[in-house]
Amino acid sequence: MSNELIQIETPFQFSEENQQEFERLIQRYPVKEAAMLPTLHLAQKQAGYISPAVMEHVAELLELPVMKVKDVVTFYPMFFEEPVGKYVIRVCYTLPCALRDCKLVLEHIKQKFDIDVASETDLAKGTTPDEKFTLLKSECLASCDVAPVVMVNDDLYKNLTPEKMDEILDGLE
Amino acid sequence: MAFIKLNDLEVEVEDGTNIIEAARQHGIEVPHYCYHPGLTRPANCRMCLVEPHVFFPPAGKVVPDRQLATGCTTTVRTAPPDRKLDGKYDFIVRTDSPRVKKAREDILEFLLVHHPLDCPVCDQAGECDLQDFSYNHGSGKSRYLEVKNVPPKKDLGPDVLLYSTRCIVCTRCIRFCDEVAGTGELGLIHRGSHDEIDIPRDHDENPLRLLDNKLAGNVVDICPVGALISKDFLFKSRPWFMKQVNSVCPGCSVGCNITVDYKEDGLYRIQPRFHEDINQHWMCDDGRLGYHYVNSEDRLQIPMKRVDGELVPTSWADALNLVVEKFSETDPDSIAIIGSAQATNEENYLLGKLAHEILKTESIGLFGREPDEEHKFPQFTIDADKNPNTRGARDMLKLGDDASLTEEVFRDGIANAKAVYLVNGAPERPLDETAKQALEAVDFLVVQDIFESDVAQLADVVLPGVTFAEKEGTFTNAKGWVQRIHRAVDPPGEARTDWEIIQQLANRLGGEMNYHFAGEIALDIAENVPDYQDATHQKIGDGGVKLNGGNN
Ligand code: SF4
Ligand code: SF4
Ligand code: FES
Ligand code: FES
Repeated sequence: MSNELIQIETPFQFSEENQQEFERLIQRYPVKEAAMLPTLHLAQKQAGYISPAVMEHVAELLELPVMKVKDVVTFYPMFFEEPVGKYVIRVCYTLPCALRDCKLVLEHIKQKFDIDVASETDLAKGTTPDEKFTLLKSECLASCDVAPVVMVNDDLYKNLTPEKMDEILDGLE
Repeated sequence: MAFIKLNDLEVEVEDGTNIIEAARQHGIEVPHYCYHPGLTRPANCRMCLVEPHVFFPPAGKVVPDRQLATGCTTTVRTAPPDRKLDGKYDFIVRTDSPRVKKAREDILEFLLVHHPLDCPVCDQAGECDLQDFSYNHGSGKSRYLEVKNVPPKKDLGPDVLLYSTRCIVCTRCIRFCDEVAGTGELGLIHRGSHDEIDIPRDHDENPLRLLDNKLAGNVVDICPVGALISKDFLFKSRPWFMKQVNSVCPGCSVGCNITVDYKEDGLYRIQPRFHEDINQHWMCDDGRLGYHYVNSEDRLQIPMKRVDGELVPTSWADALNLVVEKFSETDPDSIAIIGSAQATNEENYLLGKLAHEILKTESIGLFGREPDEEHKFPQFTIDADKNPNTRGARDMLKLGDDASLTEEVFRDGIANAKAVYLVNGAPERPLDETAKQALEAVDFLVVQDIFESDVAQLADVVLPGVTFAEKEGTFTNAKGWVQRIHRAVDPPGEARTDWEIIQQLANRLGGEMNYHFAGEIALDIAENVPDYQDATHQKIGDGGVKLNGGNN
């Protein structure tokens, strides 16, 4: 581990549209710091993941030390610090889904793409080489009545089997 | 004042005091980690649980409250007459009930779940709250059989290392950087039992910021365990092998209260000591790490005189005789005495006496380190004046407040002098070219110093004095607090305590000084220097004495 400070080559900026969105949402909060989560979501939507450049920019916008941003980014598994696939697959792995064989679904996806399950500190091992898919385990997705469930980006898929999973994944561009 | 029942004691404490402090005031320890009196209180460690008592109407009596409360955030207040407990108490609390003891054991068991057993190689051993509280309040066994988390050791900045495995996540270090320094370099990464203190880094662990603010060293002091470690002190000594004296930092005119840890072979560590009105719990890293010059091999150890253009070693008798000889030949008006903002009040007072009463010269000046920038933090300021005793030196030498330490004033002071006796004593004091020329123009220059500094190199006679860690005396800080420094180690070689050198010289020049220790000089100061009437060593003690009319 060295003590060389990293240099940010390309600073991050919000697109014009996202900048407007940021200005709109910052109004909703009594203090700027409180806008941290929506600001990070917005930035991740634009940049794909939270790079140091993104953290620096968010810190600047919210007038906080950059460590406060890093703190939040590492707390929530919804934020990525590395590039991820175009489609992030979250297989629910909590008890009700486990009782309904989510394991079969997960193993099937692993074999299908020949990838491992990504971890928060190593997203690459769960990402396909063409950067189309990233496979993650998830805690309860609050849909136990239709277990097992999977989220692909913002969409929830219910009552899954390996076959149904194939259909869904094959249908993605 | 609130009247409280604390275990079996009946005591009075000030309204607003928390239970930890109330207990501490009466000799009872409430173990705690996240609470630090100089920081905000998140109540996150739960180590300080105590058992408050409340009135329970159905039973018609006072009983232990349903839940234990955190002693750090529970404060006592005077209750209205109809709300007193048992008719007289404003608050009733037990810190020693079985429930409290069980809670402590349980919390400690949790804290030790991921803690390594590396006390044998941990710098904190012997002064560790985790060791001490486990020893006094722990259960002595763990039921945890699973694999421990082993987060990495991290380099956080120029002087601070983090042994993450030892961290109990009390967040004191984060709060220090947020609240006192206002720099916010530290935070927590990850969640729950994977929490780690860190500086911001990219995904490959390269830092975006370092913990490099000028107050950073304080996080090492307040870390209750051996997680944050000073590189300067790493593996240097077991704390129990060092001795300690109270003193005052000579780094600037704030005059932070410090402790000096030392062994026979030199100084090992400087740490801040609490003073409510001066430095609270803190000090800066310049002061903390600035002590190494004391231990330096390059310290002046023997008197020297100039022979054929070269400085050569000589005896004390020879050196002092030479000074007396030259000074006696010189017209008093052409002799200048230059006191030092680095020297103690006692030393400057004797210099003043030498000038006014013995040599009868009016040419008196002041030497010291040149000012630097002031550094302001939300709860701390490092003074621009890099001398510990500018104010005291002015008072002792009867110089006005405008006797500044800039080179111009100094040059004016010696402009017409043929013989000059200059006391320096600064760890470093470069001279600019014109100041050098002015000193070179002096016929006979005597310099009392601790290094072969720029001034010493120009001298005709060099007298080896000592540092703040080798003598007794007082400094007056910028706000007018007179405070004591104490001798930790012996002077190197033949170097002598500065006031003794001045006294010997004064007596050889016809004076009749007869002081045996610095405290005796302070008694004379108290009698003769306006506003210093209370500044005797006895009254100053460890807390200092504020001068009359000192402005805050
Ligand atoms: S490093 Fe020390 S001060 Fe900081 S959170 Fe850990 S135990 Fe507390
Ligand atoms: S602020 Fe001044 S007196 Fe205090 S530690 Fe720093 S240098 Fe020493
Ligand atoms: S356990 Fe999978 S949705 Fe609740
Ligand atoms: S000291 Fe009270 S909860 Fe930590």
